Amino acid sequence: MKQNNFYHRILLFFLFVFPCLVFGQNTITGTVNSESGDSLPFVNVIEKGTSNGTTTDIDGNFSIDVSSVPVTLIFSSLGMETIEQSVSGSPVNVTMAESAQALSEVVVTGLATSIKRANSANAVASISAEELVGTTPPPTLDGALYGKFAGAIVNQNSGAPGGGISIKLRGVTSLQGNTQPLYIIDGVYVDNSSIAAGLNAVSAAAAGGNSASLLQDNASNRIADINPDDIETLDVLKGASAAAIYGSRAAAGVVIITTKRGRAGETKFRFNQSTGWVEALNLLGVRDYNEQRVRDSFGDDAVADFIAARNQGRLVDYEEEIYGRKGFISITNFSMSGGNSDTKYYASFGHNNEDGIVNNTGYKKTSLRLNLDHRPKDFLKLSFSTNYVHSSSDRGFFNNDNSGTTIGIALTSTRPWDQLFPDANGVYPDHPNNSSNPLQTRDLVRNNESVNRIIMGGTATLDVFNWENSSLELILRGGLDFYGQQSRAIFPKELQFQKLTNGGLNGVSIQGDTQNKNYNLSAFLVHNFNTNNDINFRTQAGLTREFFDQNTELITASGLVASETNVDQAANTGVNQTRFLQQDSGFFVQEEVNFQDKVIATLGVRGDKSSNNGDANEIFYYPKGSLAVNLHEMGFWNDSSKWSQFKVRAAYGESGNFPPRGGLFTSYNAASTDGLLGISISTIRGDGNLKSERQKELEFGADLGFFDGRLQLSGTYYIKTIEDLILRAALEPSTGFSTQIVNAGEMENRGIELSLYATPVMTDDFQWDLSVNWFKNESEITRLDVEPFNIGAFGATLGTYRIEEGRSATQLVGIGPNPDESGFQVHGDAEPDFQMAMTNNLSYKNVDLSFLWQWKNGGDNVNLTALLTDLNGTSADYDTIDLDPAGQLGNGPYRLSQLGSSAEVFVEDASYLRLREVGLYYNLPDKFLDGILGGAIDGVRIGFSGTNLINIFDYNSYDPEVSNFGGNTPFTGIEVTPFPSSKRYLFNFTANF
Amino acid sequence: MKKHIYKLLFFALIIGAVSSCQIEEYSDLNGPEVDAFAENLTRGDLQDLIGGILFSSRERLGTYFDDCGVIGREYWRFSGSDPRFTTDLLGGDNSVLDNNTFYITGPWASRYRSVKNANLILGFLDGQDVSGQFTAAEVNATRGFLKTIMAYELLLNLNLTYDNGIRVDVADENNLGPFVGRAEALSAIRAMLADGATDLSTGGGNFPFILSSGFAGFNTPGTFLQVNKAIAARVAAYQGDNAGILNLLGDSFLDLSGGSMDTGVYYTFSEDANDIVNPLFISVGGSSAAQARVVQPSFITDAEAGDTRLEKTVQLAAPLTLDDLTGDYIVFRYTDNDVPIPMIRNEELVLLYAEGNVSTNSSEAVNAINTVRAAAGLGPYTGATDPASLINEILNQRRYSLFAEGHRWIDMRRFNKLGELPLDRPEDDVWSQFPIPLTENQ
Repeated sequence: MKQNNFYHRILLFFLFVFPCLVFGQNTITGTVNSESGDSLPFVNVIEKGTSNGTTTDIDGNFSIDVSSVPVTLIFSSLGMETIEQSVSGSPVNVTMAESAQALSEVVVTGLATSIKRANSANAVASISAEELVGTTPPPTLDGALYGKFAGAIVNQNSGAPGGGISIKLRGVTSLQGNTQPLYIIDGVYVDNSSIAAGLNAVSAAAAGGNSASLLQDNASNRIADINPDDIETLDVLKGASAAAIYGSRAAAGVVIITTKRGRAGETKFRFNQSTGWVEALNLLGVRDYNEQRVRDSFGDDAVADFIAARNQGRLVDYEEEIYGRKGFISITNFSMSGGNSDTKYYASFGHNNEDGIVNNTGYKKTSLRLNLDHRPKDFLKLSFSTNYVHSSSDRGFFNNDNSGTTIGIALTSTRPWDQLFPDANGVYPDHPNNSSNPLQTRDLVRNNESVNRIIMGGTATLDVFNWENSSLELILRGGLDFYGQQSRAIFPKELQFQKLTNGGLNGVSIQGDTQNKNYNLSAFLVHNFNTNNDINFRTQAGLTREFFDQNTELITASGLVASETNVDQAANTGVNQTRFLQQDSGFFVQEEVNFQDKVIATLGVRGDKSSNNGDANEIFYYPKGSLAVNLHEMGFWNDSSKWSQFKVRAAYGESGNFPPRGGLFTSYNAASTDGLLGISISTIRGDGNLKSERQKELEFGADLGFFDGRLQLSGTYYIKTIEDLILRAALEPSTGFSTQIVNAGEMENRGIELSLYATPVMTDDFQWDLSVNWFKNESEITRLDVEPFNIGAFGATLGTYRIEEGRSATQLVGIGPNPDESGFQVHGDAEPDFQMAMTNNLSYKNVDLSFLWQWKNGGDNVNLTALLTDLNGTSADYDTIDLDPAGQLGNGPYRLSQLGSSAEVFVEDASYLRLREVGLYYNLPDKFLDGILGGAIDGVRIGFSGTNLINIFDYNSYDPEVSNFGGNTPFTGIEVTPFPSSKRYLFNFTANF
Repeated sequence: MKKHIYKLLFFALIIGAVSSCQIEEYSDLNGPEVDAFAENLTRGDLQDLIGGILFSSRERLGTYFDDCGVIGREYWRFSGSDPRFTTDLLGGDNSVLDNNTFYITGPWASRYRSVKNANLILGFLDGQDVSGQFTAAEVNATRGFLKTIMAYELLLNLNLTYDNGIRVDVADENNLGPFVGRAEALSAIRAMLADGATDLSTGGGNFPFILSSGFAGFNTPGTFLQVNKAIAARVAAYQGDNAGILNLLGDSFLDLSGGSMDTGVYYTFSEDANDIVNPLFISVGGSSAAQARVVQPSFITDAEAGDTRLEKTVQLAAPLTLDDLTGDYIVFRYTDNDVPIPMIRNEELVLLYAEGNVSTNSSEAVNAINTVRAAAGLGPYTGATDPASLINEILNQRRYSLFAEGHRWIDMRRFNKLGELPLDRPEDDVWSQFPIPLTENQ
């Protein structure tokens, strides 16, 4: 039937076209429809290259006289993607798709619904594909979020390839619970775990070798698996007022990602290749040695070595040797999309191959996606998304240790005259001044994480009825996130610190295997009801079920046989298994009332229960309510007014945050003594009656628009209170426990977010778009039921976080000459004074220039890298005199003189100003493309882009952005010889055809 | 109105659906919960719980020995990763001992964890009828073992905080006993040992569990009682109770014949991944400025010629320097990852015996000193035999005999001789005690 139709159409087409051509009749008629089949009025139809044009009438019909056929017509309309279509005759049927930009005019408010941005009562940030990856291709999804919206602190934990980024929305949301937002991709709850590779067995970073603290393993986080190029929009619900409908998992915010989907019309191909390199962002340099300095720091013997090496020109800059490499980057993306009005598809392939700045580090990712939409009946729509990802990252061996083995720590005691290079037979000498040779470690150690992941989601939308002023939709949704992660850390027996003669373990192989399976099911009903005087009631109700299952097995084998790495080919093996199971069940109801777009009110409640609560079947309720008033719809201004929008809004919501894993139990750990197994009490005392944290957030704001939206201002103020704050509070160690997990406090975050969007210049040839955001947050522990305690760093001598009533949650204290009543002196705060970002997009004819500056002002780190180099006399600024107030001591000796008397010198300002992204592109003019492949190529864009090309900071290390303890903690910014950050340079080529 | 009714119906439907949706409760998936043993303690469980004490008694032991060894100027601990061994512990420049740093918090908490492990077992034994699983004698034997270990663990903590005291009564974690001063704490520890001795003496022929190889020879209630007495003798020495020393040593495994200085009980280690390796072992090749225990030079220079106990050190090819400290000998008391560390052994008992006899029977004291000297390849003691001189000689022998076993600092302290310890840098200090950890909220 269908085919018949098709041939009929072709036949008709020729019947029409032929006479047109023959008789040279130059009036073209046609209709323009939307994807959903509605006719589109007021669409501009222009003959390309001329000013000749018309618009469609109320039924979407148009008629235009053109000078000759064939002709290219351009169809454009607000909120629609502009279409160029070559036309040979009438009638022309054009289907226009909503543009991505238009989609971002919609924000998510319910689990199943969205609302026009103009009507939203929350400051929801929406990021389009263009904003996300348009300037420069990011290494990972989360790495693309810097400076893109107000209210997010994005922090890279280390520069190791393959991710490891934390995102904190609106300040510190929890001290012990989850601080990372919930990620939902096309309705699938996506896991963002960081799974430690067990390196502690070698680094002993958490001294004692106990695996209790795996935080220092510098693991990547799993959201890095998502290919940024697949993303259509990303909505960020920053706090409970917007995210309450996600209930007990939403306290840290929700990131809702919608991937690209096919559009009806001809098949579109897009190919993108980016090639470039990565290099260290900032190296510290080498101390300016001379004979006297060498003698003072290392003794007379070293002077002889120094002179000998200097005379032979053998002084080596080992920092440059290790971190100085340029890593090759190649990013390839190919996508294909299309379909007809019933079935649409989007398929993509992405491949990243990125080398790190250190040899033997790098990141590879392959992603395949198929998104399918099918409408078998007018009242039924089915959507499927499938994503397979394989990623593999070689992360090297960095960060803190207590064994002198990580590359970073080893470098701190390496001097330019030390001979560390292998001889002609490839044998590495032992480091004369350290327990490991960093070149050997770099060349022989493998630390790989590889992931195979499938994320699948499906949605069925059923229009139960659709009457004149009321409709009911049933939406069923299911999602699955399944992955296996393998970690392989191999320390061969040849390593200096593995040699038996050096007291080593004769080779260590640490292999981890994690199976993660999350799935979620939900059903929603959405009822719309319009009254005759244009009041819309939208009621929705739904049920959700989520299941989480994670099982990690970590095998540590030492004493390896020959050069085997299999864990059974070893003298000693230890196995560690960690399981996590959770079931959640919830429901929600929400009512939205829209009074003629003038007043929009929402009320809703979510009820949740979870196996992760003390009582699994107790329901916790999370209410929300919001009100937006569009004053510009009230008729105060006439159409010619400069004011195009004036909205005031207020929203309130509550959400929860689960106790940390294991927090409900007091348990034993297994361990052995000389072959005798035993169980010893855990250092953490759990509490079976632990409650989830409850966040209550109230936000107010106003959105102003002028000059038809060419200037928009938005301001938001929020107060976020976290009750039943879960603390891992210190317990008197004489109890046998070191810490207890308790609900014992209350915390408040207050903040301001301001954004400005402007198009200061818009002419035919030149357009300048500007976007600026500015935000600040302040936290305070408003109540603390336990004694104040230090947390999150290496003790008060070196500077530590301290939780204390009436103080900021992120204050950094330490010993010092002027202690307050607590016995400590406040040396800083990790919270920035404010952050600001400015994005400029300039386009002149075919040239586009985009750049994003990001400024973090204030916020302190604890920098222990400098201290470690001082102790070894190797700091680049060891002899510079600019720290000592007396002007006597060099910086190195000065810092050392402060050790034990004041932590002030270790707490450093971590402000920075960065040219986060820059991209310069040239769009090839059509005339070049016309003749190629028969004009099949729609567009070619070439350009250069970069990340972090300009970095301005005073911070005395590689990068103020760092976290020795990883991302899922509020206590970032502690630095111990991390993998240095890098900058990226890329050449990009994109073709659409 | 009709609309509202069916909205309400939906709502009701949903509430109904949710409440019928039962969520499964999980217990701890990753380890046994404490509550599991409170109701049903089996023989197998007891073995595991005792094994846990053997484990926890060794946690952070390296830090304890480094605290004692570094402050007692037996050796310096060089660490590229942590500067505080050479700053805080030696009192370098202006630094002082911090009350929230690993050198006190780590070992302190670990010893109390052992005490907790023991107290939990005592609670399990008291809280249920275990007659089906254990005989009364076995229960007594277990109690005696646990009390002895608890007393020993408390003593190690008291050694660190000294006059600042410790908590003795910590059985109820929600209602901890007060901090008590040194004298009271020593009395309580000695009473706990005496209590344990009573239990052990009615403990029958065997423990209802096996112990690690470090307890070889002392793994029955009867033989372990000798260990209990030996520890009590050490406590008596710390109390200055010479009569008590001799009295207790009489029931201990003291052997004055001189043949078996190493007889005793030991912490044992292995390279098994779930085990701990000897924390005091750093190989010769693995010693560098970034990682070493460098012998304080006077230990070598003060030694009498021919003292075989210098074999507990090894000279390196080149000296190591860190933080203005330079030395070329490293501690080699423990020569491998799985070499045991003594808890208490005969060499100490012989010297305790000498100490107990100093003022009452100096010739017996000299005999004991000579036993130790002979074992070290030295000739008999020829110095004065007044108590002060003998004490000096005993301290000297203890310095070499018990090198790197955590005694020097404590010994010099109890005879008020900390001022005689060498200072390596002008600003250094010899601390007499650690502060009570911050989190004890004192």
